[in-house]
Amino acid sequence: MIGGILQQLVDGLTIGVVYVLLAAGLSVIFGVMHVINFAHGELFALGAYFALALIAPFGGTAFFAALFVAPLLVGIIGVAIERFTVRPLYGRNPLYHILLTFGLVLVINDLIYLIWEPGNVNLPTPAILSGTIDVVGLNASVYNVFVIVFGAAMALSVWAMLEHTKYGLIIRAGSQDRQMVRNLGIDIDRYYSLVFGMGAALAAVAGIILGGYQTVSPEMGMSVIIPAFVIVVLGGLGSFKGAVAGGLLVGIIQTLLRTYAPILEGTVIFLLMIGILLVRPRGLFGVEMEEEGGELLTGSGGVLDDRTRKWVGLAAVGLLALLPLGAGTFYSTYTVTLAIEILVWALFALSLDFVMGYTGLVSLGHALFYGLGAYAVAIALLHVSQSAFVAIGLAIVISAAIAWVVGYLSIRVSGVYFAMITLGFAELFYNMLYRLEITGGSEGLFGISTYYGIAGVGIALDEIGLFLGPVTLTGQSLFYYIALAALIGSFLLTRRMLNSPFGSVLKSIRENEQRATFLGYETTRYKRRAFVVSGALAGLAGGLFTLNSGYAAPSFAYWLHSGEVIVMVILGGMGTLYGPIVGATVFFGLEEILTGFTPRWRLVLGTIFLLFVIFLPRGLVSLPARLKPLVTRDSGPGAEPAPDDSHMRGDD
Amino acid sequence: MATEPIETDERVADEPILRTDELVKNFGQFTATDRVDLTVERGEFRSIIGPNGAGKTTLFNLVTGALPVTDGRIYFDGEDITTLSPAERVRRGIGRSFQISNIFGGLSVRENVRLAAQSIDRDRYGFVESLFKPTHRYDGMNERTSRILERIGLSDVADEEANALAYGDKRRLEIGVVLATEPDLVLFDEPTAGMSVEETRETIELIEDVLVDQTLLLIEHDIELVMELSDRITVLNRGQILAEGTPDEIAANRDVQDAYLGGMME
Repeated sequence: MIGGILQQLVDGLTIGVVYVLLAAGLSVIFGVMHVINFAHGELFALGAYFALALIAPFGGTAFFAALFVAPLLVGIIGVAIERFTVRPLYGRNPLYHILLTFGLVLVINDLIYLIWEPGNVNLPTPAILSGTIDVVGLNASVYNVFVIVFGAAMALSVWAMLEHTKYGLIIRAGSQDRQMVRNLGIDIDRYYSLVFGMGAALAAVAGIILGGYQTVSPEMGMSVIIPAFVIVVLGGLGSFKGAVAGGLLVGIIQTLLRTYAPILEGTVIFLLMIGILLVRPRGLFGVEMEEEGGELLTGSGGVLDDRTRKWVGLAAVGLLALLPLGAGTFYSTYTVTLAIEILVWALFALSLDFVMGYTGLVSLGHALFYGLGAYAVAIALLHVSQSAFVAIGLAIVISAAIAWVVGYLSIRVSGVYFAMITLGFAELFYNMLYRLEITGGSEGLFGISTYYGIAGVGIALDEIGLFLGPVTLTGQSLFYYIALAALIGSFLLTRRMLNSPFGSVLKSIRENEQRATFLGYETTRYKRRAFVVSGALAGLAGGLFTLNSGYAAPSFAYWLHSGEVIVMVILGGMGTLYGPIVGATVFFGLEEILTGFTPRWRLVLGTIFLLFVIFLPRGLVSLPARLKPLVTRDSGPGAEPAPDDSHMRGDD
Repeated sequence: MATEPIETDERVADEPILRTDELVKNFGQFTATDRVDLTVERGEFRSIIGPNGAGKTTLFNLVTGALPVTDGRIYFDGEDITTLSPAERVRRGIGRSFQISNIFGGLSVRENVRLAAQSIDRDRYGFVESLFKPTHRYDGMNERTSRILERIGLSDVADEEANALAYGDKRRLEIGVVLATEPDLVLFDEPTAGMSVEETRETIELIEDVLVDQTLLLIEHDIELVMELSDRITVLNRGQILAEGTPDEIAANRDVQDAYLGGMME
């Protein structure tokens, strides 16, 4: 028994060391540049794949050479990433770095798929590292010992470099007060590339040694990035000590849980992170840091005047209302199915915009509420009532209630920590979905039917046929109208709220929270309310999806979903309400078109998204205003639409 | 609520508008505010001066609630406000002015002022009403907003985005926003930092003109200006009150000359 635990500890320590190397880079990058690097996991995977390619021609003995060369290559890629994508965004809100690196995840991950085969591959290790040795009476595998010793040496040398060299001194000073370092005449910006490259190289080392321990697969980056964030956040963003302590802690806890309490694996580390953040909002070893300002760039819709805008809106709704009528004649009925998905995601994106674009709360875990709505509907239909109204009602109420709780706990921390804690809650929920019986485990819940009515009186959509002259509206088409009504209703509701005193306080919080406080507003309370509204609408979106599709799966709450919905909001233009709707449409439209050409559509989408974040952060809806000067120059004053509307935002 | 004028008028006779009692603020080992007893009478123009690191801004942060105190009490209008939230203090009548960057840049000029007016009004409206009734239909609030815009001379640009205002107009807006919260006491932290001599003049004139009925508490580096404007001056040094008195008394004080003015001349 004791031997078993010791064996577990060695395994835990091995994983822990990998986490330490991963988290150290993440943490230092954040500490110095305030960049949350989501792509860190992909750099980690890239390290393993480069090593694989380097070792392949020579066999296991080339492992040590690869351990040196692959991180170097990844480091160079890291420098390039910093130089060409991250650098243009300094000075903007840290949110944009999260978005940018999320786009990089999509791109790098698809590149890995494109170049290497999907599936698990073994990374050959040299013979010298195989077998077992006795360490203080314990029969440990040589590779484990190698990982622990080598990893510890790496971590130590990085620590020594940070602590005892001039280079390290400047980095540490920069993480304390960047402006001060600049004032001393040191060009700290030059060091940024190096720090980023160094972090990337460390991630690559971690990827290689984990690859040799387990296997190499394209998903390996995705699976480590969230635990790595948990480590960095609970250790304290920017703290090297925190990364080391957190990494070992999480590695050991995870390994022990896997053996002794598998039901808790995947949930405990998130509970740990949330708990620590609530007690110590800066993490275990975190220090007060300068708050990063930089405004959120909201979309400005300013080329249309009020009346035109109204007519454009009505025309859009009119066209949308006609869409199902042409299905089966002008285009396939699949179009309606796709349109429903777009409407549901548009509603989801709209709900996120309400907190992100108007209140400045960047929720990285909004899929939590979408998933919650979906599962609430599924469980209600299976166990409570088959009425769609009851199920949707429950979905909204439950999502709102959970949003209140999550909001209550999360809004105490701000900025990046808020983003991370919401991510933590979402991942907690995601992992619970897998393990609970009522949610159907990894398969989810499916085969759910419903009727539209209450207390047993009502009708299923499949049983209805509406005959309108030459066209017949049935099941899917009717649901399309329900989804459309939900979207329009939510749009009007949120717009109304944003024009009320409540809404104007939300906007003031986004613009300048400190000032709002000193106007006498309890900003926390307002943010929490906004979060509840948003959570309820996201729940409605998820609920609608399940109502129509008849299933709910854990993937609904996966962090990539949270990321995708942010992509839609930014793509369209946040802080406009209609921008996210445009964004969702374009997102699915692109996916639809691109999947026709390549299964690696995320590569193209990710690239487009990257370009948006860098060059058009206000989204598609700002494009007309951007292009206006170019157009009016040619067409003369006659074509110039309402010039003094340029200050108008989408929220008029 | 202390914002109702009748209640506050009754207190004028006996209570100072602001009083701190043995106020202490520690940051780890460092004591930024060291047993400060400050008393400000209603209607006063009080300046707080002191060398860098004397604890002036910390004192402001304690009074406005931006920082929690380590020890001691703060009384506003005779009431203990030590543990109240910053927002609650604003509603009791403590206004705080920031430097010009501290306006809602992305919102219109009118919206900036209206938000302040709305803050004072908000108890009059029901929860549902405040959630759904469009702001342009709250007549009283909008009238007050217009009056203040008139008073600070920004009616013409009321619908411009605040970011688009000229430098001086931003300054006006900032002061208008403070005024709209209907404060009895206004704290200014270096309102003229980074301004030319002329801009400084204009700003001070504006403050004196617009906030003539308020008690003013000012942190300022320009000694000449302070000497000219203040009714009384408090000198802080290393977190403690070094001296307090009329401008003449302060100018004549040896301790102040040694510790502070001497240091300024270096």
